[in-house]
Amino acid sequence: MVGAVEEAQLNRLENQVDNGGGGAWEYLCLVRKLKVRRSEKVLKHGLSILNDPKQRSKLGGEEWTLYEQVAIAAMDCQCVDIAKDCINALQRKFPESMRVGRLKGMLLEARGSWKDAEVAYSSLLEDNPLDQVIQKRRVAMAKAQGNISGAIECLNKYLEIFMADHEAWRELAEIYVSLQMYKQAAFCYEELILCQPLVPLYHLAYADCSAAIAQLSKGRNKEDKDSSELHTLAAKTLEKEYKQRSLTKLPLLTATLRNLKLPS
Amino acid sequence: MGGELRYEIGQNAYIKLVLHALKHKTSATNGVLLGRLVDEDLVQISDSVPLSHSQIGLLPALEIALLQIEEHFGAQGLSIVGYYHANERYDDFDLGSAARNIGDHIHRYFPQAAVLLLDNRKLETLSEGKDRSPVVQLYTRDATRSWKQTGSDGNSRLTIKEPSANIVLLDYILSEKWKGIVDFDDHLDDIGKDWLNPDLFK
Repeated sequence: MVGAVEEAQLNRLENQVDNGGGGAWEYLCLVRKLKVRRSEKVLKHGLSILNDPKQRSKLGGEEWTLYEQVAIAAMDCQCVDIAKDCINALQRKFPESMRVGRLKGMLLEARGSWKDAEVAYSSLLEDNPLDQVIQKRRVAMAKAQGNISGAIECLNKYLEIFMADHEAWRELAEIYVSLQMYKQAAFCYEELILCQPLVPLYHLAYADCSAAIAQLSKGRNKEDKDSSELHTLAAKTLEKEYKQRSLTKLPLLTATLRNLKLPS
Repeated sequence: MGGELRYEIGQNAYIKLVLHALKHKTSATNGVLLGRLVDEDLVQISDSVPLSHSQIGLLPALEIALLQIEEHFGAQGLSIVGYYHANERYDDFDLGSAARNIGDHIHRYFPQAAVLLLDNRKLETLSEGKDRSPVVQLYTRDATRSWKQTGSDGNSRLTIKEPSANIVLLDYILSEKWKGIVDFDDHLDDIGKDWLNPDLFK
């Protein structure tokens, strides 16, 4: 989850690189740090660095991290051949590596050979049973094959061992929401808020879940037990914001607030 | 009432929904269809509003979006006539439970409501340029109160108003027009963004 400041910085760098202004390596590092999914751009710019021998030698040891990043981006964009080339290069450099083994498993996944990928991951897990990334790949495979209940089961087992993995809790919460299992999703969001109380997204999502539960169980008659001052304040702030930034929508906003029975 | 109910979708509405799905390739997307009932057996879908691309099962955002959309388009004489959905996975051709529930809700207000599901296989073969039929599947509610896919027996009940819509769509895809489309989620993040997308087709 990316904050507004980081997203603005990322977009600025992206525009700069797209328009030929250089800074591709900084962009790729930022994408890696923020863990965002911008595979087409990563593929384009990463390949331009890798195919240029001068730029590649400037990177030194970081070259291999770039190979890994480009391989994953290529698989996301379904350019399986490019991914294969990157993985082969990594294999030559690090023959017995677990990380490269993982990439090979992901390549099998990208091709749709689910059984082979499962075999590859199981053998890697035998040597290293506590590898988080591989266990999560198995959940991803179940989800990709449409086996949502299998994915939930796997993810629950994973979370019993690795309780502090907030990304996994988030994924589980989103799966529950997509299945409209709001109580379970609310539980996941509670865990997330306990781990990371300062992330507003989790509070908002938890509020949405609770609202959904309340709406479905009590019907449309919501009692306004909270103080109405908060509602009035919120409505006033919203109106001010809309006046400044989206004037055409202001009548819509007032109508919506009226319909939701909030004072405006 | 003679004959089956037919649906005609305008080019703008059709293109908006496909571009919305293309902008968020890694998640499910959805939106509402707006239009009116004409002549008792034809539903004209003239516009669409993209709703969200994340956490589709959550209700409060949906409720607010529907209120605002009804308010805005009611003034123009249009009402919500349907709902569209695009699944997260490429090979998922089922209408999920969230989509069915939202469809049921819309059906309560507009009994001839339609649900459109993006057909990824057809979208992929669009670039071959031969097919003029829409890249979506039409679901309507039959007597058993469940959503059934129509058109699989050969006669298509969904037509696009402008026959060259697929060619225009292909052109937009190649020029990456989807970057400019704004949905309700984007509006809630930054209210300066307009979910009406007034400048998209200029």
